[in-house]
Amino acid sequence: MGFIWYLIIRLGGALVTIAIGAVFVFILMQLIPGDPAIAALGENATDENVAAFRRMHGLDQPLPVQFWIWLSGIAQGDFGKSITLAQGYPVWDLMVQRLPNTLFIAVYALVIAVVISFFAGSIAALRQGRMSDTAATSASILGISMPDFWLSYVLILVFSLGLGVLPAFGFTSPLESFSGALVNGALPAFAIAAPMAGVFARILRAALLETKRKDYVTAARSFGFRDTFVYMHYIFRNALIPFVTVIGVQVRYLVGGTVIIERIFGIAGLGSMMVDGAFGRDYAVVQACMLAFLVFVLGVNLIVDIICAFLDPRRTH
Amino acid sequence: MTGTSKFSGVSRRNFLVGAAAGVTAAAMPTWGRLANAAGKNHLNVGLIGFSVVNTLDPQKAGLNSDFWALSAMFNGLMRILPDGSVEPDLAESVSQENDTTYVFALRKGVKFHNGEELTAEDVKFTLDRVLSEETASPNRAKFQAIEQVEARDKYTVVLRLSVPSVPVITHLHNGVTGSQIISKKAFEDMGAEAFSKAPVGTGPFKIKEWRPSERLEMVAHTDYFRAGEPKVASCDILLIAEETSGGTAMLAGDIDVASTIPFADAPQLEADPNITISRMAGANWRYCALNLTKAPFDDANFRRAVSMAFNREAVVKAAIFGEGTPMQGAIPSYLKTAYATYERPVCQFNPERARAEMAKGKYGEGTEAVVLTWGSGWWKRWTEIFVANVNQVLNTKFSVEVTDANVAFQRYKAMEIDAENTGWIGRMELDEYIGDCFRTDASRNFYKYSNTKVDELIDAGRSEFNPVKRGELYRMAEDLIVEDCPVIFAFNNNAHNMWRKGVEGFVPTPGQHLGSQLGPVSVPS
Amino acid sequence: MAESTFSPKRLAREILRNRSATAGVAIIGFMALAMIFGPSFLPYDPNGMDFMAILEVPSWTHPFGTDAVGRDVLARVLYGARISMLVTIIGVSLGGAAGTLIGMTSGFVGRWVDPVVMRFVDLLMAFPIFVLALFLMLVLGFGIQPVIFAIALVYVPNFARLARNTTLAVKEEPYVQAARLMGQSNLRIMLREILPNIAAPMFVQLTVGFAFGIVIEAGLSFLGLGVQPPDPSLGVVMADGKDYFLAHPWVITLTGLTLMVIILGLNLLGDGLRDILDPRLRKRSMA
Repeated sequence: MGFIWYLIIRLGGALVTIAIGAVFVFILMQLIPGDPAIAALGENATDENVAAFRRMHGLDQPLPVQFWIWLSGIAQGDFGKSITLAQGYPVWDLMVQRLPNTLFIAVYALVIAVVISFFAGSIAALRQGRMSDTAATSASILGISMPDFWLSYVLILVFSLGLGVLPAFGFTSPLESFSGALVNGALPAFAIAAPMAGVFARILRAALLETKRKDYVTAARSFGFRDTFVYMHYIFRNALIPFVTVIGVQVRYLVGGTVIIERIFGIAGLGSMMVDGAFGRDYAVVQACMLAFLVFVLGVNLIVDIICAFLDPRRTH
Repeated sequence: MTGTSKFSGVSRRNFLVGAAAGVTAAAMPTWGRLANAAGKNHLNVGLIGFSVVNTLDPQKAGLNSDFWALSAMFNGLMRILPDGSVEPDLAESVSQENDTTYVFALRKGVKFHNGEELTAEDVKFTLDRVLSEETASPNRAKFQAIEQVEARDKYTVVLRLSVPSVPVITHLHNGVTGSQIISKKAFEDMGAEAFSKAPVGTGPFKIKEWRPSERLEMVAHTDYFRAGEPKVASCDILLIAEETSGGTAMLAGDIDVASTIPFADAPQLEADPNITISRMAGANWRYCALNLTKAPFDDANFRRAVSMAFNREAVVKAAIFGEGTPMQGAIPSYLKTAYATYERPVCQFNPERARAEMAKGKYGEGTEAVVLTWGSGWWKRWTEIFVANVNQVLNTKFSVEVTDANVAFQRYKAMEIDAENTGWIGRMELDEYIGDCFRTDASRNFYKYSNTKVDELIDAGRSEFNPVKRGELYRMAEDLIVEDCPVIFAFNNNAHNMWRKGVEGFVPTPGQHLGSQLGPVSVPS
Repeated sequence: MAESTFSPKRLAREILRNRSATAGVAIIGFMALAMIFGPSFLPYDPNGMDFMAILEVPSWTHPFGTDAVGRDVLARVLYGARISMLVTIIGVSLGGAAGTLIGMTSGFVGRWVDPVVMRFVDLLMAFPIFVLALFLMLVLGFGIQPVIFAIALVYVPNFARLARNTTLAVKEEPYVQAARLMGQSNLRIMLREILPNIAAPMFVQLTVGFAFGIVIEAGLSFLGLGVQPPDPSLGVVMADGKDYFLAHPWVITLTGLTLMVIILGLNLLGDGLRDILDPRLRKRSMA
């Protein structure tokens, strides 16, 4: 019972945040100087062109009216239409085209980060104080210290232009070819994953060290269980909570990272669309992308909390 | 043409990358979309440096990138040959009944993508649509001289102009024009919005899927009126926003053909045996526009001083890596009839004369001005060099302000600037460089330049049918403009095109109207 | 409460005893010296263009090579690092001060204020950090001040949340209750009793904030939104290098490497300080 209530409260909180976020995003877009008509009509547009454009797309309406039209549209599942990226194209269709790419890259990066950090963090904690610990710990902090956009270019230099093993450009939608997406997405995913892996590994190491000293671990050891068994069942399991929690925290860096990375590697994702939309003053597109990011971050955090609640039921109270 | 030998850095470029580039292209496995398309007679075209194609409706289109893409699916009544001359395309012949009446005899049997035959009604519908106030076409101004469009019979269209005008006829080509002929029936059946996403034209390719800001998928129009074209079964136009990515995409074999390549990467790509690069003086001009209504650029002496303090060679060398030519006027060299081959002192770098000229005027050392620019990369770089250069020679206090392109253009149109670096690309008609930019109250004369003698010469040029005489009139106008120096003429950059080994039939043009060049292109089987 | 009040001497001693803090201080110290004194030792003006020396490969005369307009890249990197650091330090500190104030007030006052403030903090923290910064730049315009402001604003929620949580923990301590009973004003209690006791975690957060703040600065300038010419910043130099990266990769590579070393130093220092100032913080995330 307590858990259901906890879920409802959390979900309600997230919805409120999204609603406030919608207002916030709308206002932010309006504060940006510039004119979508210029972005759409180009350098030859006359004043009459501009006026006609504004009329056609309802930009001449008072802001509260525009906001209401947008909001009530969303309530009915209509995110409006693009005006400068693809005039008249429903924003929802654009999102549907691009969401899989961004999700794929994000999840790909997350998986890479989790796998790397699992090994690095475990080795560091189990062999605390030895060479391998120092190596893993140093590698982690080095990873954290690398700006992802710079790492992208270094990766291109080494793996694409130098060794010629991975493509530097040209993403394939995972829906068209999963293996193609894996290969094409490798460099961008790794560029995003490296700093995250560093963060994760450090958290895991610290958490493992702490649980290692706990009484129940000592007790389990004294029963004569094998080391790997003790590690998986007692130590790792209990160290998972801070590990999972930090994923929730990192997801906002993860999503933010896709913005530049998608552009460098030419991935048609939400991040690159949002940047193009922002420079083109395509209000509906940008607002929808921002909301999608908001929902994604809050959603992941919600899932993280639920997992933590399962791992440690005391949290729901 | 400026050779790369002038450019000291190139010869020493990093051996690792230089050596690896060839390997990459050869050894890299192709995946996904590319692999699917392989062996299917498919062409991948890169539109580099552009992230947006906003609409595929030619009359509504306003961005260069809109036209680069949509021109693959359309034709104009006229077309421009690589040497710059104009010939009929959808029209079979053009004749004049008098100075202001043109008669176009249409080709017979030209099919739209929907199978309908092209008739005079479609042409009339299209041109009326550009002219109609209701359409609010950003291209309307180009056709204002048209008084009436008449469909005389099924295959004859008559244009009646208010004044004799050569530009109007040039503007009927398949470029940045908005006069691409659409199917009346398809448009009326589909409605404007659906049409803008899946347009019906007569061009060599028809739309299959449009994924905005990503790619345009097209298939061959098998009934295309030019026999044997298109040579491929399908064609994708890929939008590659990041310029450097364009180079890597080409090296990796992700694209077969591209227009515009990053200036810095040209020598690198050229060194790759699998890639052919063509360069020619492009249909463009870059300049620093000045606000003539306020200090300090309301003073012609000061403007001339800045112009003579400006080392255009340095900008060409450092900002665009030698891929261009300094300009001493607005007319690019490919417009041979009008291009000035003699030196104009106002546009020659000469520090002493510059300082002497400044001494004659109202403003002196320490004068402040803000030069607005946008973006990053070479575009920002040329502003930086220009400002540093002028400050050094004249001891002025110019500074650079950077904003995003949208705000920059908004402020430019409203002249809320001191000066702004700007330019035009892909313009084929002489008048677009002089008439549109310098005639009193012309559409792109935002700086409000006015000189009655210049206006007279422009008007004479617009109605002069002899190309040689016409060129001379515009050049004379340009002479006067350069003396007044309403803008600081800067440079013309090379138009690049590149294609992979085995790709044939791609004919580079100064205008780089990419889509319109794809019909004859074939890929190795 | 004495354990977390600052004593510079003791702190210095502790830092020397902590491996990672020592390494961090050494790196930051070296970089600071290079940034401050380096440019005056180099015979080049960071903005001085030399068209006879364009895009030269790294050599003894130009250790980092030259850029497209013949400027010495090392001079630009050192001078640019100054600007990057300055922008970051001011930005993060401003954000830290504002965030701490907001969070402390929210946690201390409680009642309806706390949930409202925290709702906004949650909202800001749900936006991808770089996206938020990018939008602020578009709203504010490009340049140094807007970058500072954007960085500050991005950091307000982080500090606010941390300050609020630590305030909640400290609030119930006997010495705060005592001050309350003695009838001291809220403001006085917050400044005199609470602030000194939450200062340690805030200080650690500040160091870590610098590390990521400089990435934000570089990222914004990399996209052309940040520091504007002729001033270089690390992001500006990298953005220049990106343009000719295929043929002349050293500009972006070496500049990025410098940036990485600075961030590494800050992270090591942050780690060390965390251990020294509050061992219990060690297990918490660095966000």
